[in-house]
Amino acid sequence: MKEVISLQELKRIAQLSKLEFSEEEFQGFFKDINNIAAHFEKLNELDLQDVSPTSHLSWSEPPFFSDEPRPGEGREEVLKVAPWVAGGYFVVPRIVDKEEKRNEDRRV
Amino acid sequence: MKIEEFRDFTIADYHHLFKEKKISPLELVNLFLERIKREEDRIHAFLFVNEEEAKSEAQKKAENPPDEFPPLWGIPIAIKDNICTRGIPTTCGSKILENFTPPYDATVIERLKKAGAIILGKTNMDEFAMGSSTENSAFGPTYNPFDRRRVPGGSSGGSAASVCSLEAPLALGSDTGGSVRQPAAFCGVVGLRPTYGRISRYGVVSFASSLDQIGPIARNVEDIITLLEVVSGKDNRDSTCAPYPPFGKSEIPAPEEIRKIKVGVPREYFPSGLEKAIGEKIQEALEKLRGEGIEIVEVSLPHTDYALESYYIVAPAEASSNLARYDGVMYGLRVEGDNLQDMYFKTRTLGFGKEVKRRIILGTYCLSSGYYDEYYLKGMKVRTLIKQDFEEVLKNCDLLITPTTPSFPFFLGKEVKDPYEMYLNDVFTIPSAMAGLPSVSLNCGYKEGLPVGLQIIGGPFEEGKLLGLALFLEKLLALPSPFPGFKEDNNE
Repeated sequence: MKEVISLQELKRIAQLSKLEFSEEEFQGFFKDINNIAAHFEKLNELDLQDVSPTSHLSWSEPPFFSDEPRPGEGREEVLKVAPWVAGGYFVVPRIVDKEEKRNEDRRV
Repeated sequence: MKIEEFRDFTIADYHHLFKEKKISPLELVNLFLERIKREEDRIHAFLFVNEEEAKSEAQKKAENPPDEFPPLWGIPIAIKDNICTRGIPTTCGSKILENFTPPYDATVIERLKKAGAIILGKTNMDEFAMGSSTENSAFGPTYNPFDRRRVPGGSSGGSAASVCSLEAPLALGSDTGGSVRQPAAFCGVVGLRPTYGRISRYGVVSFASSLDQIGPIARNVEDIITLLEVVSGKDNRDSTCAPYPPFGKSEIPAPEEIRKIKVGVPREYFPSGLEKAIGEKIQEALEKLRGEGIEIVEVSLPHTDYALESYYIVAPAEASSNLARYDGVMYGLRVEGDNLQDMYFKTRTLGFGKEVKRRIILGTYCLSSGYYDEYYLKGMKVRTLIKQDFEEVLKNCDLLITPTTPSFPFFLGKEVKDPYEMYLNDVFTIPSAMAGLPSVSLNCGYKEGLPVGLQIIGGPFEEGKLLGLALFLEKLLALPSPFPGFKEDNNE
């Protein structure tokens, strides 16, 4: 197996992707991703210097819509499918920890 | 009536029975529900059977038949589980959406309902449409109705298998790199990937936004045409949907016009690794077309060999971005954590399956700083070359004919071990998806009881010509429609 991406790099990518793996799983992914990425080197056979990239396809001018308010989906129905809601808001765990909060207060 | 009698039915035939009062919409729905009950243990095409609602909708229709039937009036349809259905679970084959019931209908579902269709249930799929066998579903695989040891293809494997086994007369799937056409080929049914932008994607779970398209699956080309007429056309809620009117039957040329069509056969689609019997069946079909006066010429799409690599950069890159939304906050699974970051990690780690994680990692890698130019930019440039190849050959030909897949349906568990081997299944369906072109797969024969898929590719928005040739070829080949008998000892 050719190492295109190092185990350390893979661990960094997993962090960015917000995914956790056991050491054993990392070894499996390390093998898979390197195997797949090695195939990508085939693209180096092509001269791409003057080729423009295709990021998306469109057959006509993208439409513009008039900036007018219109009724959205029912707010209550949308909140109903959320895992945790209180007082019409989505609830998430504390973002700022208590220590930081105190420092913030002092600075103010 | 017995379900077997519907083997060669089109929507028009069902409507004829309704008109003659030989069957009511409720009786029809009940026949399909019974069929599902009888076959599901063996096929597992469905993740949810919409029994109650389907019956009550059919009952309402039976009580109040209109003078003039809307195009899908009283016709049951199975829906891939990545298309949002109001009040009906939409899991995308993933644990992360296991308990998700959308509060709204996708545009295509609104249009189906308006046309009188009855939602029969939601079909199994590879998680987030990532796969070619339906083995990546978090809820267990679907089995190929022709041979339960084999896969039905994927990712729309449940939709294709349900139509093949006559658990549903029609289905919707979605095609990012071949996910409608490959399972259609493996299940001996017809599957269309329309031009990119032909059908609104509002309410469809995003995988790779520059590639995803909804596609109809049916037992015959005529029903594909009717379905396309109903679900296509401009939608203000999807700005990637082309601002054109819906497809119309009038776009289909008459048979005498079809005989004037020039068909290109790209030599790159007949490599040494192609299953011999598949190559032979395609050649037989081409000979029959030639016998009807249709001109067949060999053409070349020189960058075909690079399409797979380009796709497996571009699609995971887009997927890694699209799937960032699954964070446990607004819908879907949430696993509590000590803090926000911890909750994100735990939710995503528990909610996503292995192939989805693999593609998120691959996509994040291709987009990450220092690798963007090496991978993502290169992938997009190669995509331009693939698109230009098609533009060039379609200047001299009306349509292209290729095999849909390089091999027959493979055995379950066989290719899960090497992900790249699995990716090779899409080698003939990826290029036209990268170019955004309409492509249809239809059965062109059987070899040892397994179907062979033939693919027709056309220019943008030329579904008329494409489906015209598909209709012509279907009539010419006059193959028996699939109806695998699921006896206990069959194929086992």
